[in-house]
Formats: sequence, structure tokens, C-alpha cells
Amino acid sequence: MSMFRAKKLDIGCFTNIKIIRDHSKRKAFEAAEPERQALRYIIRNTTLPARTRAIAQLQLTQMHCYTRPTQIRNRCVMGGKSRGVLRAFKMTRFNFRMEALAGNLPGVKKASW
Amino acid sequence: MSVPRARLLSLMKAQCELFSTTYNPEGIRTGNKILRQRLKGPSLAAYYPKKMYKFREFQEEFGQLELLVEDDKEVARLEHVAALKARGKGAPKKKSGPPDPTSFKKKK
Repeated sequence: MSMFRAKKLDIGCFTNIKIIRDHSKRKAFEAAEPERQALRYIIRNTTLPARTRAIAQLQLTQMHCYTRPTQIRNRCVMGGKSRGVLRAFKMTRFNFRMEALAGNLPGVKKASW
Repeated sequence: MSVPRARLLSLMKAQCELFSTTYNPEGIRTGNKILRQRLKGPSLAAYYPKKMYKFREFQEEFGQLELLVEDDKEVARLEHVAALKARGKGAPKKKSGPPDPTSFKKKK
């Protein structure tokens, strides 16, 4: 969805279309989050009239899928892969191993006992 | 020993006033837990590292302060190109204007 994409590339890691897409989803979610939370509040609030809550439900489901937090997936910043990504290092296990062995990750040491 | 409900409720009310929370003895779902949640958009959007400065942007910033910053790689590249040109081994000149229409005709 190109309307969510930044006109100029604004990320400085490995870039492919999947990373750009994920990044634009993150930006879209950030922009739409207050609205989503407001709608979710209306839906959850049982003291409001049923009609209002139903309308809020419809509005929430009809928001663009890029504004949904479940669309966001952590990807590897070194190679763009989506599976086996270590959350703390934002890297796949292989890239993590390579970087760790090269000594690029402060505090990471190969265990041996 | 049982405590009357009215007394417990008054305690609850006093508690709510003291800690400025909502007094809701029936446990009606008001959706306040949504309002209490923190927004996680900013931290999610900051997942990928930001774009770094390019050398040229760096140069331009310093150029405004009339400070000269030389890009060693660029200087080396220009020297290399100049040396090639001096030996007559440089890149050919760009053509100007549209190509000659006769050159597209098939040879018979």
C-alpha cells in the first residue's frame, strides 16, 4: 500500500520491500493508534448505548489493515528474514551468530564450560 | 466474624477517593482498562534503525559554516578518473540530442 510508504527512504538498515512494508505498517499503526484505542474503549464500555458500540465495532473493523498491530512482524535488520529473529538483537539466529563471533555485539560471548 | 456489606462498600468508596480510582462496586465493564493502556506505537515504529547521515549531507552542513570537509574516497576517485582521461582511457562522451533516425533502419 504505497500511500503509507514514506516518500523518501527513512530507515538505515538492510532494506528490501518486505522491510519497507513492515516499516510503513508500523508508522501507520503509530498514527492510527489513538483512534483505535478510542474505538476499543467505546466497544468495551457497557454503559454506552448498544447502537454506538455497534457503530464503533464496524468502524474499527473497517479501518485499513495496515493500521492493525497484528500486521506488524519483527524482521531481521541484517537480512530481512522474518523467522528465527532474536528479539533482543533484532537479528536472525545465523546473523546473530556471525555478528557475535565477529565481536560486534558488546557483552555477547560464546559459552564454553 | 462477618462485616456488613454497606460498611465494606463505604471502605471501598473511601479507598477510591484516596487513591483517585473509579468507584465501581458492581464491577460494570466501563472499558477503563483500554484508557489505562500505554500507547505502544512509538516503540514499535522505532524498531528499524533510523537513516544515518550521508557524507554529502555532512559536507553541506559544514559548508554552511564555511568549513571545508574533504571526502577522501571521492577525491581518490576523481584523481583516478583524471589519470584515465590523461591516458585517453576515460569514459566516452555522452551523446547530445536524439539519435539519428537512419541508424534504426534494418540493413538489407
